[in-house]
Amino acid sequence: MDLLNQIIRQPIDPDYAVAAARGDDSVKGRWMLAALAVIIGAMFAVAALQTTRAAPALQSERTELINRVQDAEREQDQLRGRVTSLAGEIATLRTAALGDDDAASALEMRLEALDPVVGNVPVSGPGVLIVVDDSPSATADTRDRVLDIDLQVLANGLWQADAEAISINGHRLSSLTAIRSAGDAITVDFRSLTRPYRVEAIGDPRTLQARFVESSAGAWWNDLAQNRRMRYEISDVKQLDLAADPGMVLRHAGKATS
Amino acid sequence: MIPLLGLLAGIVLGIVLEPSIPQVLQPYLPIAIVAAMDALFGAFRAYLEGTFTDRVFVVSFISNVLISAAIVYVGDQIGVGSQLATAVVVVLGIRIFTNAAAIRRALFHA
Repeated sequence: MDLLNQIIRQPIDPDYAVAAARGDDSVKGRWMLAALAVIIGAMFAVAALQTTRAAPALQSERTELINRVQDAEREQDQLRGRVTSLAGEIATLRTAALGDDDAASALEMRLEALDPVVGNVPVSGPGVLIVVDDSPSATADTRDRVLDIDLQVLANGLWQADAEAISINGHRLSSLTAIRSAGDAITVDFRSLTRPYRVEAIGDPRTLQARFVESSAGAWWNDLAQNRRMRYEISDVKQLDLAADPGMVLRHAGKATS
Repeated sequence: MIPLLGLLAGIVLGIVLEPSIPQVLQPYLPIAIVAAMDALFGAFRAYLEGTFTDRVFVVSFISNVLISAAIVYVGDQIGVGSQLATAVVVVLGIRIFTNAAAIRRALFHA
């Protein structure tokens, strides 16, 4: 603290006193002083001008970036729509190609059983709706906020409780879905979510909720709700409609050997 | 009187002519301005105390600006540029405040 003390005690250049005692004052010094004053004034003016000039440029850069992000999101939506329609086309083509002998109908049965579980087709039915959100005391403490791992635990708990299909804020989960955080937001399938998080799960209405609450995920969320005061509401719903996961695409196809 | 007129003339010149600062020197302009303000307040206090000398002002101003710019430059090279800029602003800011308080006491006796 000695340094700070010295700065406060002796804020003025000690040379002023020394030079004053010597008493040197010249015309040349005056001119230097005037020139310096002009330079200082110009410095102030230039810096102020530059800062005010830079502000709108920064703002426009920001809006430009936001526009680009929104454009990209729109394009992504379009592409997803195209994926869905193409997937429908694939399905009809597949049915046509399979024909109608015994082996084909057995295959179709298997497809019909597997498609909803994989997330390939839209499904509807009874299930539970779980709404979770950050603690209302929105402090800077990240532990009071819903993290990606919380949603991961929630989804895994629902799978464990025999949920047939799950979606978070309308994004259907499949075995390929990533729930991660990017910056401040949680992303599902690389799309950021906005709070609150609505997790919908279709399953046996008699057992799904009870089994979820009893699972370790239920205990995890009970703990979060009680100790972190996060919002955690679970309710039965008679009818849920979950869209297909557009991320599920045909990756491998082969000609039927007949 | 001369410095005040000079300052005004400089501000007008800066606004009218808009000299462009080289890109390399731009990060050091704000720091140089804080150093200049420190020198100005010190000079004004010395003036009130009757010990002001042109030569000391010129030398203290130039050394202030050069040293603070050099500190920030070295900081930039070793990756702590913004922290060192903060350090310079804090130290010079303390001096500016102390001098401003002394000037206020000398002018208004309060």
